[in-house]
Amino acid sequence: MINLYSGIAPARDLQLIHKLCEKLRGKSFLHVNSTREGGGVSEILQRMIPLLKDLNIDARWEVIKGDAKFFDITKKMHNGLQGNREEITEAMWKYHYEVNRANIKHIDFNADAVLIHDPQPVPLIEFRKNKKNSLWMWRCHIDVSNPVPEIWARIKGYVLNYRTAIFSVAKFSRALPIDEIFITPSIDPLSEKNRDLTELEIQTVMKKFELPMDKPILLQVSRFDKFKDQIGVIKVYRIVKKYTDCRLILAGSSASDDPEGEAMLNEVREFAGNDPDIHILLLPPFSDREINALQRAADVVLQKSIKEGFGLTVSEAMWKEKPVIGGAVGGIPLQIIHGVNGFLVYSVEGAAFRTRQFLNNSDMARRMGKKGKEFVKNNFLITRQIRDYLSIWYAMECKGKSVLEL
Amino acid sequence: MEDAIEPFEFKQAVSILKSTGKRANSIHSLRDLISRVSDESIFHHMSQYFLKEHILGYTNDFAQWAGESLEERALAERLSNVDPYAFKTIAHTRKEVMRVIDDYLSEFPEPRCVLSGDEFYFNETITLIFPVGIKVKNLADFLMALRQIDPGSIYFHFYEARIRLGKGIDDFSRWFKNSLNRKTLVKRIKTIDPFMHNIDGIREHIIEMIEEDMMRDMRSPRT
Repeated sequence: MINLYSGIAPARDLQLIHKLCEKLRGKSFLHVNSTREGGGVSEILQRMIPLLKDLNIDARWEVIKGDAKFFDITKKMHNGLQGNREEITEAMWKYHYEVNRANIKHIDFNADAVLIHDPQPVPLIEFRKNKKNSLWMWRCHIDVSNPVPEIWARIKGYVLNYRTAIFSVAKFSRALPIDEIFITPSIDPLSEKNRDLTELEIQTVMKKFELPMDKPILLQVSRFDKFKDQIGVIKVYRIVKKYTDCRLILAGSSASDDPEGEAMLNEVREFAGNDPDIHILLLPPFSDREINALQRAADVVLQKSIKEGFGLTVSEAMWKEKPVIGGAVGGIPLQIIHGVNGFLVYSVEGAAFRTRQFLNNSDMARRMGKKGKEFVKNNFLITRQIRDYLSIWYAMECKGKSVLEL
Repeated sequence: MEDAIEPFEFKQAVSILKSTGKRANSIHSLRDLISRVSDESIFHHMSQYFLKEHILGYTNDFAQWAGESLEERALAERLSNVDPYAFKTIAHTRKEVMRVIDDYLSEFPEPRCVLSGDEFYFNETITLIFPVGIKVKNLADFLMALRQIDPGSIYFHFYEARIRLGKGIDDFSRWFKNSLNRKTLVKRIKTIDPFMHNIDGIREHIIEMIEEDMMRDMRSPRT
C-alpha cells in the first residue's frame, strides 16, 4: 500500500518508513481522538491506520464517546486553549474527567505506543494500567501559544503525566518538563480530497452546487468557526469585487464535536445578505470529492484565519497548484513562504490586495502555485507524518538518543 | 582495479525538531540562552539552516531572527558572517556567536524586546541517519547518483560532514581525494562557498565540476 506513494512522495520518506517498520515490526500503536468525521485529525487517521497495518504495525484507532454536554465543554476548552475567554466550572472539569473514565470500559489501551489526540481525551492517561511498558504521547493539534492560563493549567496537569507532548508548531510549545516534539500535520495526496480529478468530475460538482464558472472564483474551505473569519473573507471579496468581478465560495463541513458551527453559519449567511455571487455551502461529512473539485475550480484560495491549529486547507490548495493567501497565524506561516509560494496577510485589506495581485497576474499565480506543490511534496504529505511518528516512537525506544543510525 | 576502491555509500539524514523549552525575547536573553543551551541546539540553529528549502536573507537562525524579528540588521549581518564550519567544535562556534553579540551590545546597549509570539525558540533535533541504498565505485556512477539523490543526502555529506569529521572537509571531497586520487577536483570543490547556495545550487556546482574533471580526463587520460 505504501508503494502507491512511490513517485508521489519523496523517496527518502518511504525508505525511512520501511526501515523504521522493520525495527518496530509487530508492535502495536493505538490512536485515540474524539471524532471519526470532520477535521484534519480524523482524515489523516482514516488513511494512516491501514497504511501502518500494511507495514506490519498493529495500528488501531479508537474514538471516545461523549454526549452533547461533553462536547460543549470540550469546545469551551478548545476555545480557551486558543486564547478565547471561556468559563469552565469545576463541575464541567469533573464531567470531562468522568466521561473519559466511562470510556475506558470499551477501549483496549493495551499497546506499545499510545497517541492521544487533543484535549477531549487527554484525561485518559489517568486510567492507564501498564505504566512501564507503553509509551503514551499527547498530540496537540491546536494553537496553544496564548491560552487562558487557568484552562491550560488544568490540561497541563494531565499532559505532565505523558512521556512526550507533540505540537504542530514551535510557537505552540509550553516549556514542559517532558519531551516536546514538533510534528507538522499532513495531507494525503491519494485521498478523495487530493487525488487528481478529471475536468468532467470538477464540472459535475460545480453543476451540482449550481456554481457557474463564468468569473474568477475566490474560495475558502473551513469549518464555520469565528477563528476562521469567514466574515473577514466576505469583506475581502467586497473590496476585490470593486476592481474585478468575481465569485466567492465559502465551503465548510460540520463536525460532530463542534456545536458552535451552526450559530456561526447563520451569522455568515446574514452578513452575506442576498449577493448572488456569494455561495455558502454547508457540506456534509465525507464531501471530499466536492472539496477537491471546489479547490481545483478556484482561482485564488484564501485561509484568512485569525487563530489556527495548522490550516491544512492551505496545503490542500497548494497541492493543487493554487495561489494561496493565508493569515499569518498558527501553522500557516510554515506552509506559506511569503512571496515564494503564496502570501501571508494580517488584515482584510492585505488579503484583498494580494487577491487582486493574483487575479491580475496569472503568471505569478501559476509560478507560486507550482512552487507550492513542490513545497507540500517535501514537507506536508502523509508519508512524512508517518515517518515522524515512527521516528519519535523509535527514538523513545532507544532511550531518547539524539542521533540514531539505522 | 575498481574492486580495490572503497565505495562511496550515500546516506541521508532526517531530523525531527524537539523543543528545549527555552525562548528568548531580546538580544540579552538570546545571548544568555546561547551560553547555556545544549551543543545540539547550537548545531541545529547554526548548521542546519541549509536544510530549509528557501534560503532567506541570512545564513543561520540566530541571524535570521535578529534581522527579521528584532530588526537589528547590523547584528544580523555580523551573525551571518559566523562560519560554523570554520570551527572544530560546537564550543568554539558558541563562543564566537557570543563574542559577536557582546561586541554588538557594547555598541548598542539597549535594543528592544520582540512582541509576544515573535520570540526565538531554541530547538534541537533527533536525527536519523540511514543509507539510501546507493553505493558507487567510480566518478561516472557518482555523477549519476548525485543528479538524483535527495537534498537531505547532499546536506548530510556536504555540510554536516564538516562538523562530524571535525576536519572542515566534506564527505564527497574526502572520497575523491582518498579513494579516487582526484586532487584537482577536490581543490575545485573547495572553491564553492557553502553559504551562497541552496542545496540544489550546491548539487549543480559539484555536477559541473565533476563533468569538467571527466572531460579533462578524456582529453588527457590519467595514467
